[in-house]
Amino acid sequence: MEKILNKEIKGIIEKHPEVGKILDEYGIGCSPCSVGSCLMKDIVGIHNLDPQQEATLMYRIEKAIYPDRNVPKPKVDLTKKAAPKKISYSPPVKKLVDEHVLIKRLLALIPSIVSYIEKSAKVDKDLVLRCVDFIRNYADKYHHMKEEDILFKYVDENAEIIQIMYKDHDTGRNHIRQVVEGAESGNKAQIKEHIFGYRDLLTQHIKKEDEILYPWIDRQLSDTQVGEMFRKCNEADASVGDALPRKYENFIKELEGKFQKEVVK
Amino acid sequence: MSGCPGSRTMDFSEKEGKSESETGKRQSQLRQWPIQFHLVSPLAPYFQQKDVLLVADCVPFALADFHKDYLKGKSIAIACPKLDSDQEVYIEKVKALIDDSKINTLTVMIMQVPCCFGLVQVAKEGAEKATRKIPIKQVVVGIEGGVLSEEWI
Repeated sequence: MEKILNKEIKGIIEKHPEVGKILDEYGIGCSPCSVGSCLMKDIVGIHNLDPQQEATLMYRIEKAIYPDRNVPKPKVDLTKKAAPKKISYSPPVKKLVDEHVLIKRLLALIPSIVSYIEKSAKVDKDLVLRCVDFIRNYADKYHHMKEEDILFKYVDENAEIIQIMYKDHDTGRNHIRQVVEGAESGNKAQIKEHIFGYRDLLTQHIKKEDEILYPWIDRQLSDTQVGEMFRKCNEADASVGDALPRKYENFIKELEGKFQKEVVK
Repeated sequence: MSGCPGSRTMDFSEKEGKSESETGKRQSQLRQWPIQFHLVSPLAPYFQQKDVLLVADCVPFALADFHKDYLKGKSIAIACPKLDSDQEVYIEKVKALIDDSKINTLTVMIMQVPCCFGLVQVAKEGAEKATRKIPIKQVVVGIEGGVLSEEWI
């Protein structure tokens, strides 16, 4: 079993599809992951299952991979804490979760924005570039930079899940470069393809962070680190001032007003 | 079995303990004096930029591993929100800890009895008056010694 724990999940699921189904039952959605390079032991650890669930999961996986092996019944490590019923974030991590809300409000508007662009005779370049400005300066610079420069420094940055987050950030930046190109050349199809690509990527990315990554990082932080990270995030926010988040919140409100009206029409 | 849960008489001397290692001597993790909240100065050197515990008097008696699991590496002040007088002084001291001693975090440890939540209120009021913001954690300890909850507030 030690060997399996140190293997990449993609290889395990390719060879034993049943393992993907078992993980699904426990709310561990590795099967559709395009990367799949997380090690089995990290996946099990990161989801913080209660000891009984974890032992049963490992038992079932081992049985699926070695059906003929006499696998011992699960041993439960009762010294491990059970998973909390609701996610409780530390204050600095909670601030990052709260910032996701504004980003999700833009993501929710993207279908309306695309539909508006498709119906317009000419691409509303100003609208597209203002959305890009939000994505680059709020979602990326203000929010993702705090993750990359502060939060991720408290864990092993070489961990697969952190590498996947970095990759998501880069893929998002590439989509946005394409959106800008589309806006400059008036190419509606290019804007549509890449803004939807960005929406799908960020929707999954935020879900992974809120439900898996952030709680996993929080569980590893000492009180001292929580206080230190809180101070660093506050300093980062103070360096850009209150005006920046306020400006982008007003922008989203304006978009919501505009497109709610469009939908009503 | 009626009356205030904070002072209700209960006897759990018959409770069976899990097998625990009682061998060896443990070192105290206390690194300061005084500790009573009326006696400590919030500007004391042992509070400067530290992680601080504000602990209800009864907690260390209930929680067997208090020194190892909570006190280690931290500074402390103790108080009783039910019996102590002049608690507005406590609020000012919390404010001074945050603003003047620039403490890193504050963990308020209370017993599960309702009167103990007054200490959380003291911490919250002091934090609201302070200019700096810091993370505050609440730990609730059961009268039989277990940690019932631990969360940032």
